[in-house]
Amino acid sequence: MAGIRLENITKRFGAITALDGVSFEVADGEFFAILGPPGAGKTTTLRTIVGLEKPDEGDVYLGGERVTETYPGDRDIAIVFQNLALYPDRTVFKNLAFPLKQQKIAKGEIEERVRATARTLRIEHLLERRPAKLSGGERQRVALGRAIVREPEAYLLDEPISALDALLRLEMRTELKRLQRDVGRTMIYVTHDQVEAMSMADRILVLREGVVQQVGAPAEIYHRPANRFVATVVGSPPMNFLRATASWEEGTLRVSHPRFQVAAAAAHLRERLPEGAACLVAVRPEDVRVELAGEGMPATIYATEPLGGETIVDLNLDNRVVKAIASPALALSEDQEVRVHFEPRRLHLFAESGDALLSAAGEDVFAFTLAT
Amino acid sequence: MTTMPQEERVRFTADASTSRWVVARPWVKVVAVVMIASFFAFPLYWVVSMSFKPRPEWNPPGKVYWAPQSPTIDNYTNLLGLKSTEDSVFATQRSASALTPFKNSIILSVGGTLLALFAGIVTAYGIARFRAGGGLLPFQILQLRMFPPVAIIIPLLFFYVAIKLYDTYWGVIILYGAITFPFVVWLMRSFFQDVPREISEAAIVDGCTQWGAFFKAVLPQVKGGLAATGLFVFILNWSDFLIAKVMTTDVHSTAPVYLQSLQGGASGNEYGLQAALACLLILPPAIFGLAIQRYLVRGLTFGAIKR
Ligand SMILES: Nc1ncnc2c1ncn2[C@@H]1O[C@H](COP(=O)(O)OP(=O)(O)OP(=O)(O)O)[C@@H](O)[C@H]1O
Ligand SMILES: [Mg+2]
Repeated sequence: MAGIRLENITKRFGAITALDGVSFEVADGEFFAILGPPGAGKTTTLRTIVGLEKPDEGDVYLGGERVTETYPGDRDIAIVFQNLALYPDRTVFKNLAFPLKQQKIAKGEIEERVRATARTLRIEHLLERRPAKLSGGERQRVALGRAIVREPEAYLLDEPISALDALLRLEMRTELKRLQRDVGRTMIYVTHDQVEAMSMADRILVLREGVVQQVGAPAEIYHRPANRFVATVVGSPPMNFLRATASWEEGTLRVSHPRFQVAAAAAHLRERLPEGAACLVAVRPEDVRVELAGEGMPATIYATEPLGGETIVDLNLDNRVVKAIASPALALSEDQEVRVHFEPRRLHLFAESGDALLSAAGEDVFAFTLAT
Repeated sequence: MTTMPQEERVRFTADASTSRWVVARPWVKVVAVVMIASFFAFPLYWVVSMSFKPRPEWNPPGKVYWAPQSPTIDNYTNLLGLKSTEDSVFATQRSASALTPFKNSIILSVGGTLLALFAGIVTAYGIARFRAGGGLLPFQILQLRMFPPVAIIIPLLFFYVAIKLYDTYWGVIILYGAITFPFVVWLMRSFFQDVPREISEAAIVDGCTQWGAFFKAVLPQVKGGLAATGLFVFILNWSDFLIAKVMTTDVHSTAPVYLQSLQGGASGNEYGLQAALACLLILPPAIFGLAIQRYLVRGLTFGAIKR
């Protein structure tokens, strides 16, 4: 009923193009995350949806209705700003009551709804305090409350928990997810933290310099990144990229690296990857297997970062750093010689430009052989 | 509120020997403060004590009375026209009492201040929030203050006579408002800039109009600044002499002009009356200041506090 659709939105601030032809659609009741580095245009996207910025080009639709020129107050969308923007001179109660008062709702009902919201967010005991007297997490809840109490068609949250400390962030993450399920309304959640986006959202939009990179479910973003940027933004440590050369035998693509070869039946790529073209074979650290001995590719350990449950290993593979996640049980140490395997079902192939060409995504797409 | 304690600041800025001297001997500070305070308070004391002195004690040749010998409130009663003593026989040149000028002062200063505040706040918000008028407008407004009023007061007088604003309340109120308007714009602009724009936007998204957001969400954040600005502008208008002197006759004239009439001419210098009037003139700004004290402290330190 209240899906949100952006059609070809372009927004410029002087010489800066903050949004460049942004189009996407959010289904009713969906938990939708917008993920991007600082300056990507995430806040501008939210401000455009709620109507605080007027796009230079393109249209915003709310529940199928064009609202590009509609006054923000008439759009029935609530926004939680990056800096929260609580009214410092009002108590928590009055902060929550403010949007209801504007709708000329009866006093008794206001009281009732404010208390109900406060109960949901567990801030009942704070109602008479002013924002200055609250902790960061409490302020966060009040800002959320001011959005929820209105019962709008959709919520827009701008990095709502990035200012909190790590533990509280973890707690708020699950709580927000619950909350969204309970209220069942459309929610657009902006963050620069890939873990937040991956763990909470139904779908993720990856934004970079005002251009949409990819929209998809977390698993899709993870397994089939549309380009090198998306591949790097999602996952930690980021994906490894290894330079290789393409060659063709009939419809079979053969990609050669000094240490290994990858083959795939991919005739459709023939145009984009001519004979002898450079390309990138990519693999996530969690898909790199380190062994002390055996058949694998020979590599030297450059550095180790023990994290307790796992160890991040920087390997020197043919004079390139490849990151791997290894078990602490291996007791790896610097300068040690090891053997390395890549999981063929998790390999990716990227063009030199950074566009993804082929992702295994768990299927038997690639045949992996060691170089002889 | 993170101003450093005095001692700390001294220790950081002064060299070691000075800081030890100041920190080790707090009484040095006390003596210094008392001396400086008395230096500035003495004229005030002199005016207050003079206002209670009878005529013979005002300015006797070769003698100084540091305090009233036989205190009296005659100066006040005389000034306010409550009692006609023989002392005032000479004072034929001035109008009967200070009451009318005092009332005029209040009407004109309050009127001018309200006018400047209203026009100034709206302008300041427009500039701070919407960059109204472009980047130069604030400086163009400030330019209004760049030349002294005395430079234009005479041409303005002819102009005022022509458009029949000479010797009217409105004429002076408009001038007071116009002259203090730049102060309001500049002070309020910086206060408005301290309010995150998301505050007004939150109100707009919550259903307020642009004006509603301004009055309900933004204005309450700058109460302190508004109070400080109001007091500042009021004091400026309250102490004006030139404009009232040129632009009004007795009927609409103000207390500072009246104060000047108590001097020279046939009556000689009426020190006691002048002192009494000066004491009365201190009262309105002082009362105003006390009434808004709660906001004032915050307003005067506003930009300095990192929140
Ligand atoms: N009002 C404005 N005037 C000029 N430039 C702006 C304005 N608002 C945003 N920009 C620019 O537009 C670009 C996108 O900004 P935006 O705030 O949307 O990024 P963001 O993804 O929210 O970043 P962050 O993670 O830092 O909040 C940036 O280059 C920013 O400098
Ligand atoms: Mg932002």
